[in-house]
Amino acid sequence: MSTTPQHVTAAIGQATSKGHGHRFATWMREPLLHFMVLGVLLFAADHFLFAREDDPRTITIGAQVDQEAKQTFKAARGRDPNAEELTALRKVWLDNEVLYREGLALQVDKGDTGIRERVIFKALSIVDANLKRPAPDDKVLRDWFEKRRSKYDEPTRFDFQEAVLTDDNTQVAAQAFAQALNAGNPGDAKAGLRVFKGRPKANVLQSYGAEFAKALEESPPGEWRAQMTRDGWRVIQLTALTPGKPAVFENLHGVVLQDWTDAVMAEQRSAAVDALAKKYTLRVEGEAK
Amino acid sequence: MKTKFRQRQVSVAIAALFGSAALLAAPQILAAGKVAGKYVAGDFHNHTTCSDGSISIQKLVNKSMDSAWGLDWFVQAGHGGNGNRNCSLVEDESLATAEYPYVSGKTPNTTWADSIGKDKLKGLSGGASGTGNMWRWQSLQEVQYQVMEYLSELKNQPLILGLESVVAGHEHTSMSIITGQMPYGSQTAVPLNVPGYTPLGTYVAAGNATALAQWSYCFDRGDTDTSRGNITGTATGNNWNCSVTGSANASNASWNTTAQKLMPASGTGTGDRGHYKTVEAVKWMTENHPNGSYYVPAHLERAGPFNPDGNNGFNIEHLRNLNNAAPTVAFGMETQPGHGASANRGEYQPKRNNFGTGNFDIGGGTKVNVDSAGGTTYGGTGVYGSVVGGVWDALLGEGRNFWFFASSDWHNRGAFGPDDRRSTQDFLPGEYQRNYTMVRNNGDKLRPQTIVDGLRTGNNFAASGQLIDRMAFIACASYPGIGKRTDAAVEALALTAATNNTDIDVSGCATMGEKLVVRPGAEIVVSIVVRDPSGANFSPYTFPNPSLKQIDVDQPLNMPVLHHVDLIRGMVSGYKTPGTAGYSGEWPRNTNWLATDGTTASLAVVPAAAKNTTAGVIKTFSGEGATPSWTPVSVAGGTMLKMTYRIPAVSASQYVRIRGTNLPASVPYETDASGNPLSDLYTNAGDTTKLRIPCTTTGTVLTGDAIDGCPAHMAVVSGQKMVSYDVAAWADLWFYSNPIYIQVNGSTTVAGVK
Repeated sequence: MSTTPQHVTAAIGQATSKGHGHRFATWMREPLLHFMVLGVLLFAADHFLFAREDDPRTITIGAQVDQEAKQTFKAARGRDPNAEELTALRKVWLDNEVLYREGLALQVDKGDTGIRERVIFKALSIVDANLKRPAPDDKVLRDWFEKRRSKYDEPTRFDFQEAVLTDDNTQVAAQAFAQALNAGNPGDAKAGLRVFKGRPKANVLQSYGAEFAKALEESPPGEWRAQMTRDGWRVIQLTALTPGKPAVFENLHGVVLQDWTDAVMAEQRSAAVDALAKKYTLRVEGEAK
Repeated sequence: MKTKFRQRQVSVAIAALFGSAALLAAPQILAAGKVAGKYVAGDFHNHTTCSDGSISIQKLVNKSMDSAWGLDWFVQAGHGGNGNRNCSLVEDESLATAEYPYVSGKTPNTTWADSIGKDKLKGLSGGASGTGNMWRWQSLQEVQYQVMEYLSELKNQPLILGLESVVAGHEHTSMSIITGQMPYGSQTAVPLNVPGYTPLGTYVAAGNATALAQWSYCFDRGDTDTSRGNITGTATGNNWNCSVTGSANASNASWNTTAQKLMPASGTGTGDRGHYKTVEAVKWMTENHPNGSYYVPAHLERAGPFNPDGNNGFNIEHLRNLNNAAPTVAFGMETQPGHGASANRGEYQPKRNNFGTGNFDIGGGTKVNVDSAGGTTYGGTGVYGSVVGGVWDALLGEGRNFWFFASSDWHNRGAFGPDDRRSTQDFLPGEYQRNYTMVRNNGDKLRPQTIVDGLRTGNNFAASGQLIDRMAFIACASYPGIGKRTDAAVEALALTAATNNTDIDVSGCATMGEKLVVRPGAEIVVSIVVRDPSGANFSPYTFPNPSLKQIDVDQPLNMPVLHHVDLIRGMVSGYKTPGTAGYSGEWPRNTNWLATDGTTASLAVVPAAAKNTTAGVIKTFSGEGATPSWTPVSVAGGTMLKMTYRIPAVSASQYVRIRGTNLPASVPYETDASGNPLSDLYTNAGDTTKLRIPCTTTGTVLTGDAIDGCPAHMAVVSGQKMVSYDVAAWADLWFYSNPIYIQVNGSTTVAGVK
């Protein structure tokens, strides 16, 4: 996952040695530069890891090993290991390290989806750690917010109840039940009562369908009605409707900033992975049947 | 001779009659004579380095029994077949015991060849020039059992050795034969004494797992050994014979004379031949260990429907065949699979299974792999158990003793080490899913026999994510007049039972796995008491449940609240006859059931044999509304929720069962408008294009046991973390009871329950 180091060094050197302030500032805003810097950092991480493997016959047991061993032991036995036990734990770590190195040499990690997932996860963590948090800009934020306004607008919300029918969920049964409920019977007279509070319109649309959502919006609060849904008749009572409200950018500045930052970071992450992918040749052999 | 009664004698007789009627009308003073017991939590399907698990037996037992989420009982059950790792070894000094110490330079990944030496390996391809693999039968008989018995004694814990059998004609089954295991008291200790056996260490077990080992040799598909359980190339050893009394045995074309067992050929007809062998397997268990064994198909929807030319899933007719052949052994299914944190929950997945020429035709001559039955799980449960009116209700509608079970299927934590709290693959036993089983031990220790007896009775409920940890679910008959029972009286019985973590022992009442025999016209008072435990559950995530956040409910993921309980009823119409049209039927494959957008077809497309359209939710209980339909009662350790429903005068045999969840109806991508779980396609990271629920909480602590933001390992779509892996599992919790049967005199007999 490293970029060829010579190329990266040359690119940075070019940008800094010419010393032209305006062009320098332009360069600094250039996404390509960000990716190249990222590449350097990734290379450094890769080089660091690789360098450790340069001397495969040296194994160092450091303080971190001891600390981990002590924690593991304490979790199992409820006390710190004594010197003899610590020595034994060090030996376990050493044995495992030897097996780990030998296993890698034998490529036993190949074809193991668990190991593959873990390596991907770690590699992505390295990519993430090197992403550059973008600087906020109010105009950019506001434009971004406006393009995604529907996400921030407060939707129309419904408070409603369903008096659940038993076996018979025909229109006639639903209407008769609604009539009985309006006459004063309790809502759980049959199979029970489902109470929905503050459900956004999108939720109602998804769960019951457009026809139901429209009917619910037009229902007089407090009245039980038999209403058709996408999976049959239901007996519903609208208890309250809260109209939607357009979102105000200023009130949501912090939220938008976080969302925008996440989105830009995601773009950077994708771009970084795409950049790494460039050194590979992709061959598609068709969809699995 | 004429007998003449004097007036006083008649009045005394009338008084006595009224007296007995009064007794009958006061059921709480007439007990049904049950042995006392408690509901205890356990797991019977998990893996160690004996097969393909990531940790040793010792470490898994510690994790399962000693940790904060410790279980009450535990069955270790790795795959059948063979393995090359010496799983008696431990990872480090912290797991060492006197009899199984840590051996420097050796770990549970060390092979048999590099530890005891290949010459100790028995059976076909064993010995010094063999493959280095130990057959599971040898591992069970000579290694695994000894370790388990030793740990059971050392830790004074109820441990059992089992097996996840690789099934002939199908995929997998959780099973065990406990005969010989963990002898105690007046039982005769029978140490292993097979010729050629040498203990690995100094520990000599008092009992043995020879019955289980023999079954593994005889009936596991992965066991292709022909040695009869003997030392390689000799007649020294077990000299097992696998015949079943009354069966064809040597007359069957699959019989191998050398092996003395059925060894079905591969190729066309594999599934059919294999299924025959599997039915023989449960017959053998019934013949030899009728009360000491169980056979519960595992994740039975995962491998798709039955494949006559391969080893895939189970259709309903195969479950019927097994239950018909061995009703005391094949009494249930593990339809709530483990692997709960996997990219594809339960490892159920569309287009998962290659049926070769039997693949699913999508038109135009193009075929694709076959989905797991139902495509995915539904709220973590397979389609056979989760769809009201589906396969399970079809079996219950016959009046069968066929019960619902869950398991962990622990192997590893995917991207994380075994000590991490996060997982992209499995949960440890007890961490997420639990079977709560009524074990009638009368105050004695929990022991294998009483545990297996408990499983067999069906008096068991399964819960995920510690949604509930106590349940009393009872049904009592109420007749007009002096036989009337009030709702309050029955509810009081249930509350007492739940408070004491036991069931009821009252004439005229029944609980899970039992049948209540009533006269026509009886009203059935169904009372339910469950405990929603207080505090946090075992989830490491403290941020709001993203699924509930979609509907603006702010509830920490590690502090779920039971939202509602559904009471489900179905009618009983009797056993289907083998060979008739109503006996066999495959669950609709692929997009005939689960569309690519995650919606499903209706029961209309399910064959009659695999559904029971009389089943439905007859009552939903919750704390909602002006008059909540359940009543909370504060008790130590949480809140008991009590609720009651009176079924009007019954005239036909039926059953009731319950389920509950932390999710209301109509939660996008989780539940439908009727409160049924939707396909888990929307939270399965195996296909990120289908992920729909964003996880938006940004935290500062992203490791450890109190993670306050959406963790880094969640699937990311267009820069947005989406509910997936373990977060998906913790967000979506369910419990399922087993049924209570109500047999109405003159109506269908509930034949599966005595």
